[in-house]
Amino acid sequence: MNKGALDRDRFEAIEAYVLGTMPQAERARFEQELAASPALRAELELQREHIRAVELGGMDRLLKEIGHEGRVSERRSTPWTAYLKYAAAVALLLGVAVWAFMRPTAHERIFAAHYTADPGLPVAMGASDDHAFHDAMVAYKLGDLAEARNAWTALLHSDPQNDTLRYYIASAALAMGDANAAIPAFGELADGHSAFTAKARWYLLLAYVRAGEVAKAKGVALDDDPVYGERARAIKAEL
Amino acid sequence: MDGLRRNDAATLRALYMQHFPTVCGFVLRNSGTTRDAEDVFQEAMTVLWLKAKEEALQDASDPGAFLFRVAKNKWLDHLRSAAHRHMKVVHDERLPDHHDEADAGLEQRIVRLRGVYDKLDEKCRNVLDRFYFERKDLAAIADEMGVGEESIRTIKYRCMMRLRAFRRAIAGEEGNNER
Repeated sequence: MNKGALDRDRFEAIEAYVLGTMPQAERARFEQELAASPALRAELELQREHIRAVELGGMDRLLKEIGHEGRVSERRSTPWTAYLKYAAAVALLLGVAVWAFMRPTAHERIFAAHYTADPGLPVAMGASDDHAFHDAMVAYKLGDLAEARNAWTALLHSDPQNDTLRYYIASAALAMGDANAAIPAFGELADGHSAFTAKARWYLLLAYVRAGEVAKAKGVALDDDPVYGERARAIKAEL
Repeated sequence: MDGLRRNDAATLRALYMQHFPTVCGFVLRNSGTTRDAEDVFQEAMTVLWLKAKEEALQDASDPGAFLFRVAKNKWLDHLRSAAHRHMKVVHDERLPDHHDEADAGLEQRIVRLRGVYDKLDEKCRNVLDRFYFERKDLAAIADEMGVGEESIRTIKYRCMMRLRAFRRAIAGEEGNNER
């Protein structure tokens, strides 16, 4: 097995060969290289094995799904279906009762109508990339907010003035529904002058709305902002 | 066979629906439950799939006969285990009761491959499954997951490099143990 690193272009060339998506001319060149290089052959075999393992994982998942579908359709054909309408009626009544107790407040509805989580930064590879930061960004983009927040918080200990870290920690907190944790972090950024100032004010406004702090939400200075001004004024009018 | 090699979900569903009832009948007649039948049938489907992927299955092969033979042998192995020695097996004489060594090799390979897959976390499985098993392109996966295409490309690379690093570590440990 090759002991060194495998760069992304090389990895993708091997991948294309294994998946059969490599163009014919390139394939012929690649095969010549394969014939001359035991290290490349070992790398190819390893990658073929890994792709097969992933496919097997997908196969196991799909078979379980098909088995489950079969069980569900079998249950549907039993006499129990006769009772389904009663079960549905009970579920509906329960649902109405739960909704009556749990329905969102006016502030939560306004928040939900206007809030879209920050999409995060592009995750690209490069020699100088900060892997810990970008791994957390990958987690954030995939919805593993607690993991991202914890990783960024750990990084902030050694770089407490890093606005990017502070902004994304607050973003993860707000996306997790923890407006009270997001407010002070967005507040500090909103008072500063950085690339994050306007965005931080926008999310600070939304965090105040989420927390039901109407007066503070109305006090966020964003009405004249060319990007967020119109939406900020609309929210304040709704409050 | 081509559908199997392409991981085509419709082909797999059709095979499942067509051949599961026969296996289920055999297992039910031999002290098993529908859930037992599902377990052995799904294992047999996996062996069939791997055999098709690795070009070890002829296009003219009868997948129903293959699935029944593998599933039956698996269930008989289970019945022969200590907990079931007292049970009397009702044989189905359609096919000879023998184990194919090549199939046993495939089953060992499946165990090994599952060990590799187990090293992946949910995030990686989510992306890699769509790319390598479902054969979706990066743009479609990015769209489904609500992230940029470049991010998906990077995640895929990083996840595969984690597997590679893990395998290198194992190879290193084995090398050290041999010394």
